[in-house]
Amino acid sequence: MIQAESLTRFYGDLAAVKDLSFHVRRGEVMGLLGPNGAGKSTTMKMLTCFLPPSSGKAVIDGVSLEKALDVRRRVGYLPENAPSYADLDVNTHLRFIGQMHSLPKATLADRILEMAGVCGLHTVLHRRIDELSKGFRQRVGLAASMLHDPECLILDEPTTGLDPNQIVEIRHLIRRLAEKKTVLLSSHVLPEVEAVCDRMMIIDGGELRAMGTAAELARLGHGGAILHVHLKEAGPADAAFALMLEQFPDMDIDRQEKDGGMLAVLRHPDPDVEMSEAMFRAAVHSEATLLELRQETARLEDVFRRITGGQA
Amino acid sequence: MSRVWSICWKEWRVMLDTPLGYVVATAFLLASGFFFGKNLFLVGQADMRSYFSVLPLLLLFFIPAMSMRMLADEQREGTFELLATMPVRMLEVVAGKFAAVLLQIFVLLALTLAYPLSLSLLGHIDSGQIVVCYLAALLLASVYVSVSLYASSLSSHAIVSYVLGFGMLLGLFLLGQAAATLPPTAQDWIALISPVQHYSNMLRGVVGLEDAVFMLAISGGFITLTWFQLERRRWR
Repeated sequence: MIQAESLTRFYGDLAAVKDLSFHVRRGEVMGLLGPNGAGKSTTMKMLTCFLPPSSGKAVIDGVSLEKALDVRRRVGYLPENAPSYADLDVNTHLRFIGQMHSLPKATLADRILEMAGVCGLHTVLHRRIDELSKGFRQRVGLAASMLHDPECLILDEPTTGLDPNQIVEIRHLIRRLAEKKTVLLSSHVLPEVEAVCDRMMIIDGGELRAMGTAAELARLGHGGAILHVHLKEAGPADAAFALMLEQFPDMDIDRQEKDGGMLAVLRHPDPDVEMSEAMFRAAVHSEATLLELRQETARLEDVFRRITGGQA
Repeated sequence: MSRVWSICWKEWRVMLDTPLGYVVATAFLLASGFFFGKNLFLVGQADMRSYFSVLPLLLLFFIPAMSMRMLADEQREGTFELLATMPVRMLEVVAGKFAAVLLQIFVLLALTLAYPLSLSLLGHIDSGQIVVCYLAALLLASVYVSVSLYASSLSSHAIVSYVLGFGMLLGLFLLGQAAATLPPTAQDWIALISPVQHYSNMLRGVVGLEDAVFMLAISGGFITLTWFQLERRRWR
């Protein structure tokens, strides 16, 4: 697991990460979202002991960041843009990474083959990395980060440069790995975070702005519940809306007549309120013909834009 | 220690897989052959003294070229982040790179053993002196490698690292050359701090403890500076 407490990092006078606290449980995938320069990579660099925090502390799998070598043994890290030794072939590169993690000689070759299989590198295992496409390089980086079977995986934009099929494969891989491991990943691709992560946090200006599951964050998106209604006749529609207002006094209704019918948007400040069923019963009671009833769900993009001031 | 050798092994693989290693090795051997052959065939002197006296100048050109990409490329390609987040101490990284270049020099110098061997066919040579000369060359090379590695840690551009390394080594080299033009007290000081002066002392065929310790200490000093420089980058 990853437990961060008040992590702060300054570059000169500039605070890249401010007072960031969060935890990621074993078996969980946490997504790190934020606009460019929000402090995502700096956070990951601190957790992998590449950059020392200016203040605050973090514990990875029970080991404090102060014990850098022990932390690095437990963490598999894929840095942004998946750097690798371009002059080496894939097999030699992975062998070097394995040697640095002190993997036994007897099992290293098997482990490389296993990771090559998992990441789809079999066909390029003996090709130089500088001859590979960006997608393959990204997979080499992923294979290298998982080679020593770490407890925690910290992946900085793991699917950058991959084609849609590869993205789906890597997502499945991460989900599979997450059953036994702790995964923290950052991404700009919001649907990906929604698809892969159990929870996510949004940071902006180095500060934590929101954290929760996709559903929890979605409720923050428009600050309440929204229901779209289309009724066939305007007369019974008014009666139905009057019933709704009796039941939900805080509700706002925007009405618009259309072809003798009524289109309306019902807004309630409480995002957890359940209006669909009440609207259905009100329409039945008023003998109004319901043509459409749709609860609006906020998209993560909306939440992201709202929280980060539209810089997405 | 095993990680030092892993880094050294990785550097050798890069060296063997890229043209730069071969180009530098070939150029060094050609230049060595020229200076040895010139003395033998043009001057008509069958000894190694003139070759060893020109060796500091040769190494001055070649060692920065062998070392320039060692740390500069790691920073430029982003692999430094990969290296620094693996369970390895930064000092082990520097030691591995140092060992890789020094081992390359060792192999190149070993190939030049063909010269004294061919001389031994022509007549008697003082093998003890030759061994000491090679030892002196290795010690001087270790100073040059440590200085060049430090230069490589200062920039993320290999060419800038080469120029910096060459400039620093040229300064050290000229220090020894300028000694003769200075007052006697200054000459004593320069004899003390110039690696080339200590190297020249050893060419007489005597392993002076003071000379060897000085060159090892300078190498250790620059290795430490390189280590500090890499750590400093992370604290900024």
